[in-house]
Amino acid sequence: MDLFSHILLGAQVLFTPMNLFFCFIGVLMGTLVGVLPGLGPTAAIALLLPNTFHVSPVTAIIMLAGIYYGAMYGGSTTSILVNIPGEAASVITTLDGYQMALKGRAGPALGIAAFGSFIAGTISVIGLMLVAPPLAKFALAFGPPEYFSLMLMGIVVLIYMAFGSILKALMMAVFGLLLGTIGMDAISGTQRLTFGLLELSDGIGFIPAIMGLFGVAEVIANIEQEIKRELITTKLKNLLPNLQDWKDSFWPMIRGSVLGFFIGVLPGPAPVISAFSSYAIEKKLSQHPEKFGTGVIEGVAGPESANNAATGGAFIPLFTLGIPANSVIAILLGAFMIHGIQPGPMLITKYPDLFWGTIMSMYLGNVMLLVLNLPLIGLWVKVLKVPYPILFPLILLFCLVGVFSLNYSQVEVALMIGFGVFGYLARKFQFEMAPLVLALVIGPMMENNLRLSLVISQGSPWIFIEHPISATFIFISLALLISPWIPWIGRRRKKLQEKVEGEQI
Amino acid sequence: MEKTQSHYNRIAAIFFLIVGIFFTLYARSVEIGSWNEPGPGFLPFWAGLTLSAMSIALLLGSYGKKAWAVRPSFFPKDDSWKRVLLTFLSLIAYNLLLNPLGFAFTTFLFLAFLVKFIFPQTWRRTLLVAVLGSVIARLLFINFLETQLPKGFLGF
Repeated sequence: MDLFSHILLGAQVLFTPMNLFFCFIGVLMGTLVGVLPGLGPTAAIALLLPNTFHVSPVTAIIMLAGIYYGAMYGGSTTSILVNIPGEAASVITTLDGYQMALKGRAGPALGIAAFGSFIAGTISVIGLMLVAPPLAKFALAFGPPEYFSLMLMGIVVLIYMAFGSILKALMMAVFGLLLGTIGMDAISGTQRLTFGLLELSDGIGFIPAIMGLFGVAEVIANIEQEIKRELITTKLKNLLPNLQDWKDSFWPMIRGSVLGFFIGVLPGPAPVISAFSSYAIEKKLSQHPEKFGTGVIEGVAGPESANNAATGGAFIPLFTLGIPANSVIAILLGAFMIHGIQPGPMLITKYPDLFWGTIMSMYLGNVMLLVLNLPLIGLWVKVLKVPYPILFPLILLFCLVGVFSLNYSQVEVALMIGFGVFGYLARKFQFEMAPLVLALVIGPMMENNLRLSLVISQGSPWIFIEHPISATFIFISLALLISPWIPWIGRRRKKLQEKVEGEQI
Repeated sequence: MEKTQSHYNRIAAIFFLIVGIFFTLYARSVEIGSWNEPGPGFLPFWAGLTLSAMSIALLLGSYGKKAWAVRPSFFPKDDSWKRVLLTFLSLIAYNLLLNPLGFAFTTFLFLAFLVKFIFPQTWRRTLLVAVLGSVIARLLFINFLETQLPKGFLGF
């Protein structure tokens, strides 16, 4: 029984005091940053990454993964209680969650969000366990052209999902590729635009970039005007949903989990997209769609399950291909490399303890989160009561310290501030960050694979079409890029966007 | 003058056009190579050209006849720019002062400034947050996480 022995191996790795402790710290930190608006899992993982240098890679990954799925739990709390989503993935939860809280049913809303997250987390971990190893075997056949086309498809999918104009999203992706070329060229060793700075010869660090684009820019956008937050202060009793709640939420949870898992595999802000999709599906399937938005429990259970399941799915491209599906996973990828682990299809075979240990930690982490969230909701609510004028300097401080402590470099802090300015302006001009970040992170990998492919084919770009797997990826990318101009599909995409935008707070 | 989306797009297009041209020209100085043997300038060259072309498309599109919605003004409030500017400046100041002044003291100044001047709080509250914040951060990062943050001339 192969699977069984693997699970046993994972358990052996996990059940050491050190790993259990770091798993706990991870989910605790995750919930905390999930609760705090303006500080997301990306920033939290980046912040704690330097502090994992002295522990073993498995321990580090266990903790960092815990932050990721822990944040999805925490994000729902703020959505329900304050109508401010702690995470982008919880935006949709505000619709029905906050309404439930207004009706005095904050308890069941929080409860079902926690249980839904738990069930979804478990389902997606099982999926990850079953899908990843065979997929990794398949990926062994990949050469440079396949990798290049796959990454190209990754970026195109992300662009397709972008909420605004496709042209602008494309521009951000190309800009990200260009920024990714800064630094020492891996093939020839040429310095490109480094201005003699040591910090730049490794390329623009993606942690300063991400902290600037998401952390600093977000905070600055929030301080433009004072936001009054109203906290629902009804007593938080009866956290346990009643039988009717369970009946109403059971299928939305299952559907949300499966949907979230598969969307999670795709590149992009999967938790966000899966939550929106789940909400749309539940509304469509419901016998009383008109009640959505007035505080129905399905509107909480589905999306909250979906965003959690998506975090599990997002690990698949990381473990099987070594390609990050989003910015959080990109930092985890960076963590692998810092610890000397080469991500790619060989990862599961070469480091079984890492893969199965992380998987097992996700099971246990989900249990910990359930235990942590139900009794501790009162505490999280207290955290929420910290007013923003006091909170935002602390968040900025975390960003500063996080980036500085990576390499003790003022250049990197300056880069972060620069990206903060850029991110703030880009928001104003309605450009999206996600394509930029993904392109920046996988740009160097794409460049190397592109150049290797061209060397292999002796200069013929047709190599990407001649290899069947690569051709499939290219075909899908082209289809996605062309489809918005086909009137029928284009209209639907636009409609979807309008809906999503209209529903954002 | 009321700002429309096309107005914003025009500014962005010009910015990215400059970036695209810059990379295209820069790539020539580090050897573009050929299709057989692409050099370090290969991707910057083609991506730079692509970005320039896209910027021109965005620029031309912004003159199209489509009726664009009027955008809200750049800052939601008249005094928003002050807060935004001050916060960015304080980040820069933190970066510059960290080494000479040391972590704890710089953090104290940073927190006190932001709490007092962005959304003005009482002095009592300001000092409380700044003192507690810098002491706890000092204990957390230097004593507990053993981060090598600078201690500055004051030695703490």
